[in-house]
Amino acid sequence: MFKKALRALPIALAVAAMAGPSMAEAPEDVLDKLIKKTNSPYLTQSPQNIMMMPDNPAWLVAEEGEILFKTPRGPKNASLEKCDFGKGPGVLKGAHAELPRYFADAGKVMDLDSRLVYCMKTQQGFTDKDPAIAKKHGSDSDIMKLQTYIASKSSGMPWNPPMKHPMEKAMRDAGEVMFYRRSGTMDFSCATCHTQDNKRIRASVLPNINRPDEWTKAISWPAYRTTHDHVRSSQHRVLECLWQMRYPNIKNGSDASIALISFWTDAARGTPAIVPDLKR
Amino acid sequence: MFKKTSTAAAVAASTTLLLVIGGCSATSTGKAEADKSSVAAPKAKAVDYTAMSPNALAEHLIFESGSYELDQPTQEGTTGRDRLTQDEIQKTCSLMKGQELSDKNREKVMALAAASIKYPEGGIKLGDWKKGRELAWSGFGYRTAHNPDVHKTREAGGNCYNCHQLAPDRTGGNLGPSLTGYGKNRGSSPDMLKYTYDVIYNPHVYFACTNMPRMGASNVLNQQQIADIMAYLFDPESPVNK
Ligand code: HEC
Ligand code: HEC
Repeated sequence: MFKKALRALPIALAVAAMAGPSMAEAPEDVLDKLIKKTNSPYLTQSPQNIMMMPDNPAWLVAEEGEILFKTPRGPKNASLEKCDFGKGPGVLKGAHAELPRYFADAGKVMDLDSRLVYCMKTQQGFTDKDPAIAKKHGSDSDIMKLQTYIASKSSGMPWNPPMKHPMEKAMRDAGEVMFYRRSGTMDFSCATCHTQDNKRIRASVLPNINRPDEWTKAISWPAYRTTHDHVRSSQHRVLECLWQMRYPNIKNGSDASIALISFWTDAARGTPAIVPDLKR
Repeated sequence: MFKKTSTAAAVAASTTLLLVIGGCSATSTGKAEADKSSVAAPKAKAVDYTAMSPNALAEHLIFESGSYELDQPTQEGTTGRDRLTQDEIQKTCSLMKGQELSDKNREKVMALAAASIKYPEGGIKLGDWKKGRELAWSGFGYRTAHNPDVHKTREAGGNCYNCHQLAPDRTGGNLGPSLTGYGKNRGSSPDMLKYTYDVIYNPHVYFACTNMPRMGASNVLNQQQIADIMAYLFDPESPVNK
């Protein structure tokens, strides 16, 4: 039912992008510019997916997220409009591009997922047991709807996770160590698969963390995954790579997962976010 | 102008929130062990992330922050904790960007690898290339996390196609070199068979700190399975050599 509006949306966004640099830019335009600038087989591996981006099913999920975001919900009957994602209460524009960051109220470095959960608990009164928080994955989950909406407000904006607070630096640096740390049945570290150009696992092209212009797409989540028919989060990608690595389960929003995400976001610093993205 | 107060608030907040519940940390650090009273009544221990080295914090996050399911059972009967614990080769080969393997460490890794290799009793033989073909293709096995592989119904594979092109009829990866025409190009002398067996069993014996897993030394493949995969590489009838 949103279909018509959705088709018009990219055009509206493109126009908006021209109006001022502070507006979110259509993800397909961001990607197009990157493709023209760099010669990356990772960015161009799926022409079908690139063509599908204006009709990305993730936009529907974002629309539903917007409604959830603005609706008073939970035991405290509050909307999320006062939640501070780092740029002040209610400010979404560019907020996701500056996560993870340190939040003094929580005393922690948080990514989008954990910050969202924090606000759903403190402002709306949800608990871990409520489905609104307990269901972490899938396009039909509140968490993914909300994340997709919030993140879409950072499309085209350069990744710029702050490194001023010592906790932010500590988490990023520990994430870097974890990225290069080998273990498990197959001796894998993240670096095994993500530090060289033009490499593939079977037919999948592997993004290289040392190439920010291609790495930005790798870390652009939420993304609709065509092979899953669901919108997925950064947290879900961490989980999937750890599964391939034969590592045990990692908890959503855990400090280890946030350290990895802090490092991988820092590695894309300065390159524009592509959200929502569309991936294989 | 808010700088001072907000920093103070941050420090206060981080100390309160970063309390590790004493009761669940079986592997507490030296200082806590010295504090005998903590044995009788486990006390919450404050952890300051910013006071740790990146290495120490990484180890803390992996083993003591509750991030991983350390007790998750594995297919080999161990736990997630064991999967995350590094052996000497893994530790030595965890090189950060720009860091190079020293000659001393290269020798150490190669010696450890050489010591790990066990040979079949009757010598290295080739098995059934058709079985080897499926083993080389299969990436199944030992995955845990959110969706553990069940070995009872299916044997673990060798993952070779993840990283190598082998027979041209299937698409392989390119983290490792192409092995197309392997036996045809190299022949199957005893030395060639031994070299190949060694590489599959523990490639660090020739390529210290390689990205290729130790399929024999890590018990992913048994000797029969290695023989089958070797047949796939060497047999003139194998599609690898057609
Ligand atoms: C055995 C190889 C392997 C290892 C090790 C590995 N990954 Fe991946 N990773 C992949 C593959 C394959 C993809 C999917 C790429 C594609 O679809 O083009 C991927 C995708 C990703 C992506 C998103 C890109 C996309 O298009 O989906 C990120 C980010 C990522 N990995 C991070 C990590 C991190 C962090 C680690 C370590 C915790 C890690 N990876 C370890 C193989 C690996
Ligand atoms: C994670 C990726 C990976 C997997 C899985 C893998 N390899 Fe490798 N392999 C490599 C790399 C990388 C090299 C190159 C060695 C080096 O220089 O580090 C290699 C080298 C080799 C060589 C030596 C090639 C030569 O030119 O002498 C053989 C033989 C080989 N692999 C066979 C296999 C077989 C058989 C399997 C499956 C049981 C397998 N590999 C699985 C990455 C992999």
